[in-house]
Amino acid sequence: MTAPTDTTGVPARPRRRSSRGVVLGVVLLVAIALPFFRGLPAYNYVLQLGIVLFMWIAMTSSWNIVGGFAGYISLGHNVFYGIGGYLSGLLLVYAGWSPFATAVLAGLFCLALGVGFGLVTFRAHGPAFIISTIALLLMVTIFFDNWEFVGGSNGISMPLPPFPVEWIKVPFYYAMLVSAVGSVYLAYRIAHSKFGLGLRALAQDETKAEVAGIDTRRFKIAAFALSAFFVGVVGAVWAYSLSYLRPTIFFIIGVAANMVLMAIIGGRGTVAGPVVGAIVLIAVNELSVVLFGASELNIVVTGVILLGVLLFFPLGIVGTLREHGKLPAILDWD
Amino acid sequence: MLLEVDHVSKAFGGVRAVADCSFAVQEGTITALIGPNGAGKTTAFNLISGILTPDSGRIKFAGNDITGLRPHKIARLGVGRTFQITRELGDLTVLENMVVGTARGTFRELLGRRVLAREEQQAMELLDFVGIARLADQKAKTLSYGQRKLLEFASVLMSRPRLVLLDEPAGGVNPALLDRIVDRIRTLNQTGITFLIVEHNMDMVMNLSDEVVVMAHGEVITQGPPTRIRSDDRVLDAYLGRV
Repeated sequence: MTAPTDTTGVPARPRRRSSRGVVLGVVLLVAIALPFFRGLPAYNYVLQLGIVLFMWIAMTSSWNIVGGFAGYISLGHNVFYGIGGYLSGLLLVYAGWSPFATAVLAGLFCLALGVGFGLVTFRAHGPAFIISTIALLLMVTIFFDNWEFVGGSNGISMPLPPFPVEWIKVPFYYAMLVSAVGSVYLAYRIAHSKFGLGLRALAQDETKAEVAGIDTRRFKIAAFALSAFFVGVVGAVWAYSLSYLRPTIFFIIGVAANMVLMAIIGGRGTVAGPVVGAIVLIAVNELSVVLFGASELNIVVTGVILLGVLLFFPLGIVGTLREHGKLPAILDWD
Repeated sequence: MLLEVDHVSKAFGGVRAVADCSFAVQEGTITALIGPNGAGKTTAFNLISGILTPDSGRIKFAGNDITGLRPHKIARLGVGRTFQITRELGDLTVLENMVVGTARGTFRELLGRRVLAREEQQAMELLDFVGIARLADQKAKTLSYGQRKLLEFASVLMSRPRLVLLDEPAGGVNPALLDRIVDRIRTLNQTGITFLIVEHNMDMVMNLSDEVVVMAHGEVITQGPPTRIRSDDRVLDAYLGRV
């Protein structure tokens, strides 16, 4: 963009540049190269950690589009996770199509569902909206618990992936990596677009945004639908990696709560926040499992972390650092 | 007539905030909408800008029936409005507040740049016009009350509206700033923008407006040029409470 010229009498404003692209490119290259190093200690553990981390980055970053940018907290977002998983899983069981191929289809299906759900749930505002998303989750749960064709509450098993066992994690790793990068890129593009500006406006004052000329209803529904896409994709991939479909894997509110938690810890409404939040929360979880074994203490530790973040980083780690001008340029993606 | 409000009523529960209200605004004028507190002025603004939907009656803008349209549609037809209590978007920068209304159009435009060069140019010129261009990169919540008033005034001009509704532009503003606002309204009016202004400052109303509409308890009690309104008994009654 060109700076305004001085001929109009308007002062030119300085613009900031950074070389964060190089650093992020290196990080991405390391992530891409990682599966080639079979000699790594705990190779499978590292890959599994990558799978889980990328999945949560994709989900939290997607959730952030509606929960952060648009300011509408959805506690039912895992319906898309489950529906994506079931759709791809059933296509594998009954049609033999690989979930790696149908994951995109699952995402698109969730996108369309997002439009439908959005048309209904966005009639509510504030706390009523949050409750309506919980209601949505409960309805979908009841539906899947009782749908005998997909095994009801017992679930249904899927054929195992046809890969050699020593490489079995690699395709899942890459699928999740692509989803994570894709969802962060989507969030980045939205944050830097007029659409994102409109979402941030309506998040602060919906009436003002409307009067300024923004079609807030359409914006909210579009945000909801876009935020459903990658959640559906990773749901499909995750279901395949478990080779099992069961309502309690996908449709428990803890899954949605995790998205919210990660977004809040990292910085709701920032592009880098969900990435930071996912890394912090998963690192804390893994560490506490290492330190305290398979106890439930990791939940306590998570609670303490959340408390600390809310006390010292009220806008999340990224949000608060940016507010104080202390955010490292490498994390300043907004 | 640019704006025609035709027998419009709006009740909240049992309270008739606007009752059978009719008035018109001629293109190119500065029209003041006055009346004691609770007369229904702001409700009338909310009805015109689409925030509220009338219970009955019609509202026409530039020949189009805009009754019941959603606010963004009315805005896009060329009606801009400010709020009595400024509603700047605090977490956005001043410049972003200016261009927020450009978030419309095609899919491609919506996914395009947040602030286009020509929009930035236009926004900076308008900010310069009201005298706060140097604040462009600050978050709106860091602005003082007067600066917020100016931002609200400048931002409403971004979409090049034909009609601007100003809700108490002089409310709580110091005299020097008031002079600046009055001067800017005049300048803009000369370029063809029509104004409808809710205002309590009678000096400002009397020397700025071409036409005055007086409301009391939800109804329009009279409409006319300021000289006539000044000596109208019904207006004095409405303000002083004589019956």
